[in-house]
Amino acid sequence: MIDKFKAAFKEEAHELLSQLEDTLLELESHPRNGELINAAFRAIHTIKGSSAMFGFESISKFTHEVESALDQCRNGTLPITKDFIGLTLKARDHLKEMLGQEEPPPQATMEEGESLLVRYREFLSGGKAASAATPEAGPSTAAGAAAVGAAPAGMEAQAPSAKNGQPVQAETALQSGPAGEATEKPSTYRIAFKPKPDILKDGTKVLNLIEEVAGFGQAAIYAHTEDIPAFGTLDPETCYMYWDIIITTQKTENDIRDVFIFVEDRCELRIEKIDGETLDEEGRAKRLGAILVERGLVSRADLRDALGSQRKLGEVLVEKKIVSKPEIDSALVEQEHLKKVQEKLDSTGASIRVASEKLDSLVDLVGELVTLQARLSQTSLDLKDAALSSICEQFERLISQLRDNTMSIRMLPIGSTFNKFRRVVRDLSIELGKEAELTTEGADTELDKTVIEKLGDPLVHIIRNSLDHGIEKPEERERCGKPRSGKIMLSARHSGAYVLIQVSDDGKGLDRDAIYAKAVERGVISAGQEMSEQDLFLLIFAPGFSTAKTITSVSGRGVGMDVVKREIDSLGGVVSLSSERGKGLTVTLKIPLTLAIIEGLLVRTGAEYFVIPLSTVDGCIEIRREALEEYGERRIINYRDDLVPFVSLRSTFEMPGDPPEIEQIVIANLQDSRMGFVVDQVVGNYQTVIKPLGRMFRGVQGLSGATILGDGTVALILDVNALALAVQMDGGRKAARGSGR
Amino acid sequence: MSQNSRDASVVLSPSGALIIDRASAFKSEMADALGKSKKIVVDLSHVEELDLACLQVLYAARRAAMALGGELHFSGTVSSRIAKRLSAAGVLSGTPGRAEDFEASLLEF
Repeated sequence: MIDKFKAAFKEEAHELLSQLEDTLLELESHPRNGELINAAFRAIHTIKGSSAMFGFESISKFTHEVESALDQCRNGTLPITKDFIGLTLKARDHLKEMLGQEEPPPQATMEEGESLLVRYREFLSGGKAASAATPEAGPSTAAGAAAVGAAPAGMEAQAPSAKNGQPVQAETALQSGPAGEATEKPSTYRIAFKPKPDILKDGTKVLNLIEEVAGFGQAAIYAHTEDIPAFGTLDPETCYMYWDIIITTQKTENDIRDVFIFVEDRCELRIEKIDGETLDEEGRAKRLGAILVERGLVSRADLRDALGSQRKLGEVLVEKKIVSKPEIDSALVEQEHLKKVQEKLDSTGASIRVASEKLDSLVDLVGELVTLQARLSQTSLDLKDAALSSICEQFERLISQLRDNTMSIRMLPIGSTFNKFRRVVRDLSIELGKEAELTTEGADTELDKTVIEKLGDPLVHIIRNSLDHGIEKPEERERCGKPRSGKIMLSARHSGAYVLIQVSDDGKGLDRDAIYAKAVERGVISAGQEMSEQDLFLLIFAPGFSTAKTITSVSGRGVGMDVVKREIDSLGGVVSLSSERGKGLTVTLKIPLTLAIIEGLLVRTGAEYFVIPLSTVDGCIEIRREALEEYGERRIINYRDDLVPFVSLRSTFEMPGDPPEIEQIVIANLQDSRMGFVVDQVVGNYQTVIKPLGRMFRGVQGLSGATILGDGTVALILDVNALALAVQMDGGRKAARGSGR
Repeated sequence: MSQNSRDASVVLSPSGALIIDRASAFKSEMADALGKSKKIVVDLSHVEELDLACLQVLYAARRAAMALGGELHFSGTVSSRIAKRLSAAGVLSGTPGRAEDFEASLLEF
């Protein structure tokens, strides 16, 4: 039983470490962001607590010291520098390593941990010295303000930018205690705090009280300044301002009242719990009108009147002098806060964690169902039973929905892999003495989890290559009139049944002449041979092909880019390149959305069935055998004003038998051209459950998998790009040699 | 507190804690400045603390200057402690360090 808990701990710890890495990288860009520091602290704190509970003593001890350092950062006594982030990233890697080992860890691991802790201690002693020199950076010790959980001095409170005259929202992190410890759902309170005019005279620090309450959780605060009188009549010792505070916290109403306990008789204080009221009756974010009515500022009748107008409710109510503008602004702050809280609840409460193996198994089962359903349909056709046919149709519809739902469960946002590349860029640019920044776009683009898993390595290779060969050293960039820091852009977007992933850099781009010379030198092409730029660029994916003058530990050996091509090919994807000398390089990966079930076009040649992925099919042409024979060796057809080469599957796969009188050419879109495949018959659309080919077929070019048809027959799935390449390579004759067919 | 008059503007450079104990004196200084010039600049570089009493004086002075067709601006840098407290109290958006940003981020200033 305990092993089960230990496994759960490790799983959670891995997840927390992954979040920690993202947080630290973000923190490097925003070192004064209090919420990020809190998040990093919470991650380490949770790992520390859980590791001690499950007997991982060394992890607990190590995290304790890391936690102490992060606590100092939280308090503002230890500055967050690039070196500190670097050290904490290393500590994170070290923890990851420890999680993979038994307790106690090997001596080498312990020593490595100790050396990291020594560096932490150096930081801590340096940090204290620095803090003593700048007392301002330390936490506030002002009377009356414990400032529980508030952002440390000098850090960014997470307030949305507001221009003068707009409502201000002071946001602090949701104070739910360390991650994983929060068990109770936080409550939202509306607090109206209006100090009496003489409150300042006995030394009460009103701002400290507000700050203390704000530190209880996620707060939105509106300070009313409209009662401050004209300068001439202002009594400098009188309090004129008052506050509306909306706070979502795990603290109780009494906890909030306690903050104001010493000023109870010198203020008007109203605290209302507005839990469960974040949405209106129809489940939408609460309307402004509802908030104003709840606050007692507007009657329902006034609201009805104002809503009759076609203008904005707030404007109408202010114009009619029913409420003041600050009252509207304050209610808007509340509305915005409630919306955010609801979003947070939606994002945390609506998901469950499921082991990925279970999902894989579900997809397998759905695949079997799809296959079985095809068989059932076939049988019903043979039996010609109307009742059975009707049931089959309904069954087919349901299976189709089940398939789509199951596939959508496996879809993950690609952003989960994007994050790890930020670390790659960070570490590698330091190693190479370059400056580079990775920006990402389309992180929420969804892709099948299997595809995402397989994309990791190719993308790392491409990004490493960009950094090593593309992005120049800062001095060189300056000489070229570029900013010192290079940019690498990673983006993803949907395009039909594909996802387009692009890695662009603003480095030196591909050197056409150097690639050409290298290709000639390696005998890939002959000197003087004409080649399109795209084809020439694609040579960089050939094994062992590198134009780098020096070999670094990162790249230059010509190993890597060929791996990229191979991996993308195995995903049924396509790689393309565009580059302008001196301006940069863009690598585009076109990846199919899923590898499990696809829509295919079922075709037959002789007794064999093949599936061509429907997303690649451009059209079909019927052609008589004698017309085909007229083409002779020169097999090019005019298709939509384009000359398209075509090959016969029968001859390509050396299949016996004579073709029928009328044949079909399926025109498929290749990477940057089209190709026709001559088949005996086009059967029609087919939901294709992709099954991997056995080891025996692994070397066969042009096939990407197999599927089982309704009658139990196996159909091979064509990889049209690979098949076209194979045909071009050997004259379109022996592509499938060795296939055993 | 020092006061320098340059060209048409008056520069106030308060230092230390601008808190209720000094609020009346601060208001007088400000009234003086308002009487002298239409353009008042308050250098916040040496202000270590700013409480509600003196904040209200700044608000009223700014509004008075504008009502008279003049202006009141801040200059220098703002202590992070001040920015943090005002931000947490919902008076300031963010925790700007530059006085110009501080001025632009004060609610209804």
